[in-house]
Amino acid sequence: MTYSKEQLAGLVQTDRVHRAYYTDPAVFEAEMAKVFGKVWVYVGHDSLVPNPGDYYCTTLAGQPVVLSRHESGSVHVLYNRCGHRGAKVLSRTRGNARVFSCMYHGWAFRPDGELAGVPMRADFPEDALREARAGMEPLPRVDSYRGFVFASLDPGVMPLIDFLGEARKGIDELVDRSPEGRVEFAAGCHRYHFRGNWKLQMDNMADTYHPAAAHGSTVGPDGRQFQRRAGDQGGAALFFAPNGEAVVSQLGVSGFPHGHSSEQSLFDKEQAGGVWDDYRALMVARYGEERTADILKNRRHSLTLFPTLDILIAQTSVRVVKPIAVDLTEVEIWPVRLAGAPAVISDDLVKYVNMTHSASSFIQTDDLEAFERCQEGLKAQGSDWVLVARGLGAEVDEGDGVLFGARSSEVGQRAKHYAWRDLMSA
Amino acid sequence: MNTLARLTPAGHAAPSLDTLRDFVEHEADLLDSRRFDDWLDLYSHDAVYWVPAVPDQADWISHVSLYYDEKHTMKTRVARLKHPMIHCQDPPSTTVRVLSNFGMEAADGDLFRVRSKFLMLEDRPGADRRVYGGRYLHTLRFDGTCLAIVQKCVRLTNCDQSFPQLTQPF
Repeated sequence: MTYSKEQLAGLVQTDRVHRAYYTDPAVFEAEMAKVFGKVWVYVGHDSLVPNPGDYYCTTLAGQPVVLSRHESGSVHVLYNRCGHRGAKVLSRTRGNARVFSCMYHGWAFRPDGELAGVPMRADFPEDALREARAGMEPLPRVDSYRGFVFASLDPGVMPLIDFLGEARKGIDELVDRSPEGRVEFAAGCHRYHFRGNWKLQMDNMADTYHPAAAHGSTVGPDGRQFQRRAGDQGGAALFFAPNGEAVVSQLGVSGFPHGHSSEQSLFDKEQAGGVWDDYRALMVARYGEERTADILKNRRHSLTLFPTLDILIAQTSVRVVKPIAVDLTEVEIWPVRLAGAPAVISDDLVKYVNMTHSASSFIQTDDLEAFERCQEGLKAQGSDWVLVARGLGAEVDEGDGVLFGARSSEVGQRAKHYAWRDLMSA
Repeated sequence: MNTLARLTPAGHAAPSLDTLRDFVEHEADLLDSRRFDDWLDLYSHDAVYWVPAVPDQADWISHVSLYYDEKHTMKTRVARLKHPMIHCQDPPSTTVRVLSNFGMEAADGDLFRVRSKFLMLEDRPGADRRVYGGRYLHTLRFDGTCLAIVQKCVRLTNCDQSFPQLTQPF
């Protein structure tokens, strides 16, 4: 069916969303234009293209794009499309080239997208080759925040810094963990997919209610989850108190303007022992004791940026969600290296993310199972509505539009749903 | 403890390729039979089970891996495979592995490196059939009585692609 603005807005109520939000291909098609076509979407990190001529191919709203580094050092986001006949120019995920050459007729482009060469050029009307669209065109808007490069398909989009708002602190909290204030995407990424809608994964990142049931198989007899990050201390999170109470469900969630959210940290101790003590000394040398204690505080488990980026602060990695179809989603997990930290710290991050967020991981596998069961269950017509009411009315206004909800409130999920509704009904 | 490995008499000369092949096929059979504790017992205390995520990946530090399990992580994995709340194995998978093309890659003292090729089917009610294939490289240690797996490296032909949930070791 085709939806009017009013009907699209009606899919999101204060305390529930309609199942078509997750299942209707027409809704998916509409959100590619009205959500992904209107906001800032994360493309990649500039450390993926450290040198002139470096490129990294990805997709934005299903469209092929490339993050590239020009000869001058500037970073660009281009449509990965030849200005001649439209062939995808770069086919490898990453590489380096002085010019990007199209395999079809041999047109060549500089890393900033400008047309660099056309075989037998004299036979074309020169005016057609002088147009910007003869090159690999840049996306309408490109900006970055601390190395995280975003692009927007909407020339009139608000400034990136305003879109991020208070939620930019989640990026700060990750990057500040480097003694040099810099992270590098230097260990590749995990890639997995599930037969479910992309928003099921996004909801899950603002959901501290599910781990007690969904991730029960990761908890040992002592009530702690398996050690999911390095350090003699601070690596194993408490899920259940000795009396059986689900401590993990006490964690609070925050909802931000523009659909961002964050979860409180699972961990009760700072990572310590061995090389972590050396790391802390480096941090104190750079930031001072007070600031270091603040950076290393177990504040947030994750900070999720609408629509599809997740900063996994506790796991020192970054998750990127790519909607493929209404019921097919691909996810990437990139562990980051903390520039200036002892190498073994970053090496351990690579190992631990294998356990927590790979396709074979102890945690993610059960999340994927949940997403696929939701997609399947939502085919049922018994009720058209999905309840998102936990903690409704009990939120605390923390100012700047940030709402906090204790005890696994669904306030963060509601923030995403409301942001989606505002965009879809515009 | 592996029964096949124990067939080798104590103090006997180095195990033959036939013996090593029997051992590696037995390992695959334990996985197909979901005898995960017995499977775990084949691995030495210092073992590594490794499935690289890109072709020719040199180590498990410079790039993420599909699996990188040291022995303690293997124990966690097996404990979870047996846990009543492992939802992604409710219902469980059924697998069959077919191994072929065995060869001795290297032998050095008590260590033997054995290569083979495999195909694996995984079926689970409600899920699409999955087919995996690639090369196994087993590093085995022979202490004069028993064989143990020191490292198993699995190089999948599609290792650098996107995967659905992976619950079964290959």
